Amino acid sequence: MNYVEWLRVRNLLRIVAIILGVLLVLAVVLRISVARYTTPAHWISQIEGQPDVKVQHVTLPDGTKRTIVDHPAQGTHVVVDDRGYAGTHIVVTEPTKSHHENDNFSVGSVSVSESKHGSVKTTVIDTNGAVPMIYYMALADLVALIVATMLAAPFAREADGHLEVALTKPIPRARYAMEAIAADVAGIIVASLLTIAALYICQLLFESPRLDFSGVNARAIAIGIACPLAWYALVCAATTWMHRAFGAVLGFAWPVAILVGVLAAIHPRNVVGLFIHDVAWVLSRFNPISYVTFPNEPTSAAFFASDPTFLPRLAVMLLMFVVYSGLAMVKWQRMEA
Amino acid sequence: MSTITISNLHKRYGSVAAVDGVTLEIPTSSVFGILGPNGAGKTTIFKCMLNLAQPNAGAIRYEGRPLSAPLFERIAYVPERSVLYDWMTIAEHLEMNRRAYATFDSGRAGELLEQFNVDRRKRARALSKGMRTAAMVAFAFARNAEVLILDEPTGGLDPVNQRHVLSLMINEAARGNSVIFSSHQIGQVERAAERIAIVDRGRLVLEGLVDDLKADRKIVEGIFPDTRFRLDGIADDARVARTDRTERIVRLLVTAGADEIAQRLSGTGATAVRVLDLNLEDIFLYAVSPATATTDVIAEERVL
Repeated sequence: MNYVEWLRVRNLLRIVAIILGVLLVLAVVLRISVARYTTPAHWISQIEGQPDVKVQHVTLPDGTKRTIVDHPAQGTHVVVDDRGYAGTHIVVTEPTKSHHENDNFSVGSVSVSESKHGSVKTTVIDTNGAVPMIYYMALADLVALIVATMLAAPFAREADGHLEVALTKPIPRARYAMEAIAADVAGIIVASLLTIAALYICQLLFESPRLDFSGVNARAIAIGIACPLAWYALVCAATTWMHRAFGAVLGFAWPVAILVGVLAAIHPRNVVGLFIHDVAWVLSRFNPISYVTFPNEPTSAAFFASDPTFLPRLAVMLLMFVVYSGLAMVKWQRMEA
Repeated sequence: MSTITISNLHKRYGSVAAVDGVTLEIPTSSVFGILGPNGAGKTTIFKCMLNLAQPNAGAIRYEGRPLSAPLFERIAYVPERSVLYDWMTIAEHLEMNRRAYATFDSGRAGELLEQFNVDRRKRARALSKGMRTAAMVAFAFARNAEVLILDEPTGGLDPVNQRHVLSLMINEAARGNSVIFSSHQIGQVERAAERIAIVDRGRLVLEGLVDDLKADRKIVEGIFPDTRFRLDGIADDARVARTDRTERIVRLLVTAGADEIAQRLSGTGATAVRVLDLNLEDIFLYAVSPATATTDVIAEERVL
């Protein structure tokens, strides 16, 4: 293990942990603040106070607290099954004049399905559904990309006044470089895991989380690991080859990547705009982030079947990691103090 | 590791020859001093010795073998400037060395840090220049290395610690190891080094045992009654390495036969002729400073 690089990684992970810790504290504060709104009892007690409303409370054999609310005047019938941390199942039956047909959507762990039968609409709300892992990976990937950017100058930092230390160790330069990259890769993955763990704990404060790893979620995990590593290698190669200005490379990496990405995405109608678009598109092919796309599909779709581009995109990212890391190592081998 | 051999070493940076054909042999169990003015090429020689700079030509061999990564286990290097990581504590630097070198003696490093009054809990950025140098020196001497290459190892140190570093160097040589060091403080080199090499503008201008260099070289000085005088060909004598003139005073650097040259100088009309011993500073200055008076004296002699 490259001790100096490991210390750099450790210090950065410490900062990541502190930031995630602050987010956790905020989540705890939020949890305490909204405690009384997180169970159906609060709004049921409000309904109970209304005239003409009949409320029945029943405890089912499995411990589920069932509440049946009837509002004959409005024609509304609500059944609430409160299973504590296992979630809540709510069925609302009410009259409707809308011509809107059936609808299904989910937000995080909450899934809502609406169905219409004649003039009656039935809404089924399930909390504590499986949370698509892609949500977790979205934030974990963002954190991993930031950490990757901050770590992506191991050789340039050594060249900034420490080559006499780094290059007089009794190991070949290639091994030194591989150990440094390995430490950084470990740091990026650990940052990602820390973020996922923090998100999981945040969710745990409100409900018992169940994560969905199927279909697009599994692919999101693979891309979520490969993309930050390929991005790290790209920036690492750039900082190594331009080691005298590595700070500027780190500072401009994101703005340049975003600018190129935007220019590659828009399709102007004039010739100059098209030319810029074409150049940006070609440049964007060298950026692993441009390969991160997830087509709309049911989360339960098969791992490969619904996205034939997934494996090639993953392969490109892994290839980028190898090639860019190799380029950085080539320069490292040739560095002089 | 008995001998380090540097053969016809050349290193260019663009059009500038930083090292120009230097050949040296550094024996074991000795303290070897490299002297030279700023920009003479001392640090570049060290960097080439450590593969930190790639020579354009020439070879460097340790016991007849070229430098390879495993050999760094037996070579310790203290660069001219601080290469400590500002954000790391001295304790972390110690740990870094312990992990990197199998022969590193943490206990010895701790002792040396205490002797130099370096607080190991402090980050490197919080240390003075002298303390940083002291820390690097402590780590190098705790390496149990067979070759110590020290570039200005006393830079920024107070006189007490400077003396301590010199003692450490002499001790290492006594233990059978080789110490190669550079310093601008010629008194230190004279005190510690058995052999010296003087480099100037990338070239080796003088090399040998300090005692031999001092014994062989003398200054013959004479004062003439007025500024118009003749040297009767003394300046062309092969034993006269250099002639300097300041108004009526002539100084001849002679490599042998100082008494005979002094007699000849007396014969030309010079008074107060005397033979002076040289110290290392004189030897160094004569080696690296241009012989400003030689041409004048010889030219004047020919005119007169």
